[in-house]
Amino acid sequence: MEKPVIICVDDQREVLAALRKDLAGLTEKCEIEYCESAEEAGEIMNALDDSGETTALLICDHVMPRKNGVDFLIEINNDARFTRVRKLLLTGQATHQDTIVAINEAAIDRYVEKPWQAEELLKTVKILLTEFLLVSGMDYQSYLEIIDQETLYEQLRKRT
Amino acid sequence: MISKKTMHLSISVVATLLVLVIPVSWIPIDGLTIIEQRILAIFLLATMFWILEPIPIFATSVLIITLELVMVSDKAFFLFQNDGSVANFGSIIAHKEIMATFASPIILLFLGGFFMAIAATKYRLDINLARVLLRPFGSDPRKVLLGLMVITAVFSMFMSNTATTAMMLALLAPILASLEKSDTGKMAFVLGVPFAANIGGIGTPIGTPPNAVALKYLTGENAIGFGNWMGFAVPFVIILLGFTWILLLRLFPPQSATLALDIRGKFLKHWKALTVYVTMGITILLWLLDAFHGMNAYVVAMIPVAVFTATGIVTTEDMKRISWDVLWLVSGGIALGMAMEKSGLAMHIIDSIPFAAFSPLLIVGVATVITIVMATFMSNTATANLMLPIVAALGISLGGLEILGGSKMLILAVTFASSLAMSLAISTPPNAMAQATGLVETRYMRKSGIIIGVVGLSGVYILMFVLRQVGFF
Repeated sequence: MEKPVIICVDDQREVLAALRKDLAGLTEKCEIEYCESAEEAGEIMNALDDSGETTALLICDHVMPRKNGVDFLIEINNDARFTRVRKLLLTGQATHQDTIVAINEAAIDRYVEKPWQAEELLKTVKILLTEFLLVSGMDYQSYLEIIDQETLYEQLRKRT
Repeated sequence: MISKKTMHLSISVVATLLVLVIPVSWIPIDGLTIIEQRILAIFLLATMFWILEPIPIFATSVLIITLELVMVSDKAFFLFQNDGSVANFGSIIAHKEIMATFASPIILLFLGGFFMAIAATKYRLDINLARVLLRPFGSDPRKVLLGLMVITAVFSMFMSNTATTAMMLALLAPILASLEKSDTGKMAFVLGVPFAANIGGIGTPIGTPPNAVALKYLTGENAIGFGNWMGFAVPFVIILLGFTWILLLRLFPPQSATLALDIRGKFLKHWKALTVYVTMGITILLWLLDAFHGMNAYVVAMIPVAVFTATGIVTTEDMKRISWDVLWLVSGGIALGMAMEKSGLAMHIIDSIPFAAFSPLLIVGVATVITIVMATFMSNTATANLMLPIVAALGISLGGLEILGGSKMLILAVTFASSLAMSLAISTPPNAMAQATGLVETRYMRKSGIIIGVVGLSGVYILMFVLRQVGFF
């Protein structure tokens, strides 16, 4: 079975460790990659795309040395290969201006503020994964464990 | 490490190739022609692919049609054509006829149903109807459960079972959240909706794809009209639904005293919405009265398609939501059945097994039980696609079956049986959705699903007996 890939980007290892803990329940159905910089994440996404694998969700911090998160998300948003990738901005330090840019130019799907509630983050991630599975036409029945009920109902209701 | 999928794929393909290349005389069926041997191989491939599912089930259907075109049609690949040297070549099938299965009247009947479902969802007729219809059921959890099940069943007669379940579970979500964690009633609600959707699908020819497949075999003197079908199927649905309701209440009694379902909204009143209401009303009325006005159900189905596209109620964007996979799954079944029938393979298979030696009752019993077991583990439609060509031929060739109602009875019994499998999450998409709520324990679904299957199957036998008594067959 094809495993959708989640990419987590944060320059702080503690944050990645916390994410690893909170997303542990998804690992059976998803591949999760942890990156310490936007550059590294970009390379991984390229490599995945080259080998025909699908990046489903990008969870990205904003304030990072060298390339910042919002700039990276804009890049991804403008990349035709990644139009279906769901984007979650996970940060505590984005300014008002950064947030506006993230919404208008990077078209992020969700914004979660640090520090986050484990349960809320998991719910958000599941919603985004469900959206991804349905828009990319993957068989949702194989991924019931990582699916958000309400999102699934809403989408299936619209089908014939 | 070879993946399970690859293994299933290779086993199926090797077995198929084997049937294809061995000399025709090795196959223990008398009088088999080369064309029939090829169709037998395609049938085997379809069976294995639909059971093991190495590729999506609708893809198997497309594959059947393509293989038929390449191997047994009048425009087949040149190596597959008869150069005149083979005596027992058999009769080829016109490629136009194979391709026409994509647009057979049965497919267009379903398309009409899909257009109505899209329009109803888009103009919120489904939710608004559910809201109004639920009101008389009050706030007693037992009655609310009955209300939800009745509405689910009625909707699933005209919409897909999956979409209906999705809508009703979405309505249910707030109730489930409000119930105590220990309240066993939760299970009754989560199982009641998918079960009602599975059962409700039996009610009309467009209720569920297996019914559509059955229509392919119910032709000529065996033809059944839309209103006619509902005349006996709806009473069956009502009785089985009532039984299911009582069963769920006994197994999982709700503990809370009251239960309030809060659905907001009001009926839309602009001209497009009104057009949707009127068109749907007229279409359903015309379907019910198909015996009186000359238009059969297939012709009537085109009316909503024409009205909704002309008025912009269903746009090009909306049309992308049509489940083409379901339509193609049925097309493949029709093409498979047609090839087996036209080539004479179905008859030859039946003749090679001494069915006449068995009691007709036993044959009905075995056919329906095999169907329900298959449908438990695989797609109901694929089950119907595989079982019905065999069963239809069996009904015709077996004289002893006439006393019980002949092939019409057998086809209906098998079709109903294919919708009665609901003991596992994989049995039907509605069951899978119930499982996904995380509130259903597998063993409870298994237990209640098996009871409903057994009772439902007994109900089918009684229904067939009654229909025979009133001279329907």
